[in-house]
Amino acid sequence: MNEALITQIGICIEKGKVNKASPYPGDMIGQEGSDELTRQALSEGIGPDLILQACNSGMQRIGERFSRNEVFVPELLMAAKSMNAVMAHLKPYFQTGTVKAKGKFVIGTVAGDLHDIGKNLVSMVVEGNGWEVIDLGVDVKTAKFVDSVKANPGCIVGLSALLTTTMANMAKTVQEIKNQFPDTVVIVGGAPLSTKAAEQMKADGYASDPQGAVAFLNKVSRN
Amino acid sequence: MSVSASAIKIEKEAVEVKISFEDLLIDKNEIGISLGYSAGKTPSYFMNMVDDVVKKLSSLCQPKAGYKIFDIDKSIIKPYGIYIENAFYKMEKIITSQIKKSDKVAVFVCTIGPAMEMWSKELFKQGDSILGYIVDTVASAAVESTADYLHNQIENSVQEEEMKITNRYSPGYCNWSVSDQHLLFSLLPKNFCGISLTGSALMMPVKSVSGIIGIGKNVKRMKYICGKCTVPNCAYRPYYLAINKRRLAKNNN
Ligand code: B12
Repeated sequence: MNEALITQIGICIEKGKVNKASPYPGDMIGQEGSDELTRQALSEGIGPDLILQACNSGMQRIGERFSRNEVFVPELLMAAKSMNAVMAHLKPYFQTGTVKAKGKFVIGTVAGDLHDIGKNLVSMVVEGNGWEVIDLGVDVKTAKFVDSVKANPGCIVGLSALLTTTMANMAKTVQEIKNQFPDTVVIVGGAPLSTKAAEQMKADGYASDPQGAVAFLNKVSRN
Repeated sequence: MSVSASAIKIEKEAVEVKISFEDLLIDKNEIGISLGYSAGKTPSYFMNMVDDVVKKLSSLCQPKAGYKIFDIDKSIIKPYGIYIENAFYKMEKIITSQIKKSDKVAVFVCTIGPAMEMWSKELFKQGDSILGYIVDTVASAAVESTADYLHNQIENSVQEEEMKITNRYSPGYCNWSVSDQHLLFSLLPKNFCGISLTGSALMMPVKSVSGIIGIGKNVKRMKYICGKCTVPNCAYRPYYLAINKRRLAKNNN
């Protein structure tokens, strides 16, 4: 089997190399990216699960570098973009069940809050790490979150808020989800949040950035 | 009413300041810092994107800024709050200690309008999250710069009357509750500068800033304020310090 090819796909993920045409990163200009290499791997009969494994370790490496402050959100997004190129090729295998997403992650910005950039960044990076993301958008009322939990049993919920005023709505949403589905795991985030604020509203976790969200999800899904 | 900045006197009416894109100082290195990088360390691929977005900014940002001046009754200032027009605003001493030396207070708002926000949203919808993120970051820098310009204009105009000004303080900072935005906005004409407030105290367009600036003979505008603040874990402090570290380094060169 073409070990070098699989390894290279993982490197493309870590470095955010999407395809040959992409000028990013500067030290890989003109080289094939995760798009071309995945196509080649599949045509050589390499199993999608092996490709996915290589991607996951690529994602993990960039995540660790992010945690060490060596790279920042733009690099995480490039890695996620490179991962999306792989996912486009693997989609049929997900549909037939040959490979599976790590789980479902329902995310939205809480009621009264129209701010979505932070939530979008988290969505992208979580998706790039192999989760199926269901993005409910902004100004999401509690009932909509509850309906989505009902429709997606076992999902993990992420709530985002920008201001302390909308953080109050977040607390209500956490409470209602917990009332109706006590086992549902909820993680919260956004600038005014903190571990303490998350504890106070009885959420299961808090993360200050997309990588923190991924680390939390991976931990919860392993348990 | 719209007047040119140099014509501003200490007026009792709400004043909209004329401001155009050329008045804004957009520092690309500061944008790099906002993206997370230390000064000059932003990878060129992202810096080129910043360059492109900044070029488009001139046609997409529609800066508007205005203020209204109120007297403040010094005798009724509590240690941890101030009165403007008979309404009490609770806040950190870091603000009240400055405002209590003031004779008047300017309540201000500013915005760059909705176009940058909409562009960023559209980019995310199309799956271009990186450019979407950079557009958002540039837009934030532009509205901060709009606030700087307004701040300077108010400073210049009161100098003519031998007055000085304080730093600017906003609801949501220094233990001043964001929900006081409702009180603050009730002091200004409806839809002033095209900004409206939602029930949850969010300004629309999102790229807007509100606040107060003290005016008086015995006040001063200080370089550092975060160092004195006692709010634990303020999300703004690291950002402020990173930007100011760079500004200081620049001044020392
Ligand atoms: C840039 C900025 C602005 C800009 C742009 C605002 C915007 N959001 O578009 C401007 C100058 C316009 C502004 C205005 C105001 N701001 Co402001 N602003 C900031 C600043 C410095 C950065 C915010 C930002 O854009 N970050 C980048 C984005 C991508 O990050 P993010 O949305 O937070 O998302 C990240 C994480 O939070 C996390 N995350 C987000 N959602 C989720 C969800 C989950 C599940 C997880 C796990 C993680 C997660 O991951 C994301 C990616 O890293 C923060 C301080 C800070 N360092 O965060 C203050 C901050 C958000 N602002 C604040 C305030 C108060 C205001 C104003 C009310 C001030 C005023 N009176 O004018 C206004 C409100 C504007 C409005 N429309 O009503 C406060 C809010 C706290 C509070 N008291 O409510 C902050 C936290 C500063 C502080 N005092 O500590 N602001």
